[in-house]
Amino acid sequence: MIEILLILLAPVAGGLLYGFERVVRARMQNRQGPPLLQPFYDMMKLIDKQTLIVNPTHALLGVMHFVALWAVVAFTIMGGNLLYIVFLHLLASLFLVLAAFSVKSIFSHLGANRELLSMIAYEPILVMFAVAFYMLNGSFSIDAVRANPSALGSLLFLFLAFLFVVQLKLKKSPFDAAKAHQEIVGGAEVEFSGLFFEFVYMALWLEYVFVYLLLMLFAGDNILLGGILFCVAFLLVNLVDNATARVRMEHLIKIFLGIAVSLAALNLLGLAYV
Amino acid sequence: MLTQILILSPLLFAFAVLFAGVRLRNILTVVFVVFLAGVSLVHLLFINEPLRYDLPHELHTLFFFFDALLLLFFLYVGIAKKDPLVASLAASQIVLYAAVKFVNGAVGSSDFLIDNTSLMMYLIVNIVGGIIVIYSLKYIESEEFSRLKKNGFIAVLFFFLGVMNFLVGTNNIEIFFLLFELTTLCSYILIGYRKDTISTQNALRALWMNQIGGVAILAALLLALVSYKTLSFDLLIANIDTAYLFPIVFLLLAAFVKGAAIPFEKWLLGAMVAPTPVSAILHSATMVKIAPFLVLKLSPAMSGFLSEAVMLFGTFVFFAASLLALSKNYFKEILGLSTIALLSFMMALAAIGTQEAILAASILMVFHALSKALLFLQLGILEKEFHLKYVNDIESLMSYSPLVVFFIVFGFASLTLPPFGVFIGKFMAFESFAAGIQESPVFLAALLFSALGSVFLTILYFKVLTKVFVRDMGLGDSKRKEIACTYKITSWALSVLLGVGIVWSLAQRLFGMWEILIPVLLIGVVPLLLYVFVLQNAQRVKEYNCGEKEEVVLNMYYLHTPSAVQKTILILSLVFLGSLFVGVAL
Repeated sequence: MIEILLILLAPVAGGLLYGFERVVRARMQNRQGPPLLQPFYDMMKLIDKQTLIVNPTHALLGVMHFVALWAVVAFTIMGGNLLYIVFLHLLASLFLVLAAFSVKSIFSHLGANRELLSMIAYEPILVMFAVAFYMLNGSFSIDAVRANPSALGSLLFLFLAFLFVVQLKLKKSPFDAAKAHQEIVGGAEVEFSGLFFEFVYMALWLEYVFVYLLLMLFAGDNILLGGILFCVAFLLVNLVDNATARVRMEHLIKIFLGIAVSLAALNLLGLAYV
Repeated sequence: MLTQILILSPLLFAFAVLFAGVRLRNILTVVFVVFLAGVSLVHLLFINEPLRYDLPHELHTLFFFFDALLLLFFLYVGIAKKDPLVASLAASQIVLYAAVKFVNGAVGSSDFLIDNTSLMMYLIVNIVGGIIVIYSLKYIESEEFSRLKKNGFIAVLFFFLGVMNFLVGTNNIEIFFLLFELTTLCSYILIGYRKDTISTQNALRALWMNQIGGVAILAALLLALVSYKTLSFDLLIANIDTAYLFPIVFLLLAAFVKGAAIPFEKWLLGAMVAPTPVSAILHSATMVKIAPFLVLKLSPAMSGFLSEAVMLFGTFVFFAASLLALSKNYFKEILGLSTIALLSFMMALAAIGTQEAILAASILMVFHALSKALLFLQLGILEKEFHLKYVNDIESLMSYSPLVVFFIVFGFASLTLPPFGVFIGKFMAFESFAAGIQESPVFLAALLFSALGSVFLTILYFKVLTKVFVRDMGLGDSKRKEIACTYKITSWALSVLLGVGIVWSLAQRLFGMWEILIPVLLIGVVPLLLYVFVLQNAQRVKEYNCGEKEEVVLNMYYLHTPSAVQKTILILSLVFLGSLFVGVAL
């Protein structure tokens, strides 16, 4: 019962998290920042706008992106199969790419191309993330992860690698080339407007919920540790976002396939043989 | 009895259709295909334990005669077409075969051994292959050939099915060699069917490459005779000595050649000059499926080094072929490389040899056959009805034929998405790799190759899909064109079989109901919502494009693979193959 409530509230939670993040980031820069509920004010305004679409496929795939991500979050909350969730998440991300390619807009295509390249970068890490828990628990079940004590000690390298993924999935500097507002004006989402932009916007909130839920799996059954991990990661992600400059796409791939994948692979080897 | 029917009746059918008129030929073909499909189903339902048969001695003499004739024919082709590779490989096969005949005193086992893998292959060959044969009735009609030559095309396809039916049931390596060479002959005839320069050239390439497989089988046969005193798969596998695995390695080499694994991928890619049903039947129901079938058969004899090396090689080819496919724009080439990738993946799984990995490989074999057949049929339709060959050109297909778009989307979805068999196979594959890491770090490398490879493949499939979804609004429905009835029926048949696969995967209880249903709902909801929203007619605007006014032509993405990368892939694959032999020698 509580799970269903959580699933229904997931987009709201994501919105609050997103709003809170904007406040935190502003304070780090000595700014006042927007009010906490700013994402919801934006939502009201976007819904109120006249519905303009480029083509129906484009608009619908944007909605699909949101719905599929919601399903991913739902499976994560229900404690489903981790590897399945990773693959479903890939599908959800691909819907947005599919949408971006369905319009004749350079910036949209550029963004979608970068989106695809970043999938190549982070997907192996997510798969290894799932495999690591399989090696510890003998199954891909998230319920099993949540029932066992924290394995953070033996998954330290993987945790570091996962932080890279958090930074990339939340479109934070230095790994935000896929969105890069100043450069390709939002990339994959540039052609969305009004209600349909709201769906893509809310999909990003769900992405927040999803990556932080995965992050808290490192804490196992220890809820307090989960909270600490979340807070530390949250602050770290925003600190790094404020302190670093964007890297180019090819560097991003090199950093991920070079450093992050190596870290995760080393961790798996360590799990098996140390 | 049923096995004999499956082997002999296609040969009779081939003769029957050869001399019939067009109408009679079409009717006969449909009847024959339904018959074959029925027999293979009955076979599956009524046989529960492995069956063994023996063939009379006179037949063996006949086979020897056929073998000699076939090798001499290859030699003749090599000399007549002035192709030194074909000729020299044929000559070396003749020498090796003579040597095999010279060494005697083998302990015999039964000539036929029908196990579960064979039964599964019967289904693939006869049902998927049969559907393609029916499809080619329509396809071949619009080609400019004489009636006899068209009938010959159908006849060769039937003959091919018969050979395949024989091949998957045989337990005798010598007979296996004959059939292996016969499939090479079939592919040579079919690839060179158009008789133009490029077809002839590619057919010859397929001939010499596949003959490497023949040489490898003969080498395996000779070594098995000398050191294990047997000609039979089952005795060889049962008595295998881990210190002397050379016969197995040579058989594996034959499998890699047939499966077009990377140093040998050129013959399958060259095969796309042939009429599209040929590609369809080579890629899905026959020929290349021999590769995973053979590795599955040999997997009990593989352990330790050999099993891990083949797994690493297979997943590496999976990764490399997917990467290469990303740089292609020609539709057939994209499908071809994805076949190569998935076949190697199946071989890697079969080599692991655990119960789960073998199940995963079998699932992949069945569903890959269905999906690839469906996609190749659509390719043929695109060519014949709309004259489209390149991914970049299929942009306005939605306005021409939504049905073909549906089949293409369905075909690609069935290769990637959760409720379908291929996804389940891949999922179980990852589980197998994950379970193996504790045994050996090689599994981690295999896991990484597979993870990257499957992301590449997914991106590749979506590349085609994105193009299909683009809808040119100026066109409207005026250009809509009905596709031929035969095309429709065959495509629907394959789609329904894929749908049955979903029901089957529900029954396997690998995933919960929601995990199966949600993706189906997601995919099913799209067209519905599309319909609703088109009706609503929200106001349309041109792309914002940041106010850029310049007209641009946007092509599909591709990942450029520099020639240095291609060379590295080739060298690495050769190193992997070489290390198989070196490793076994040590």
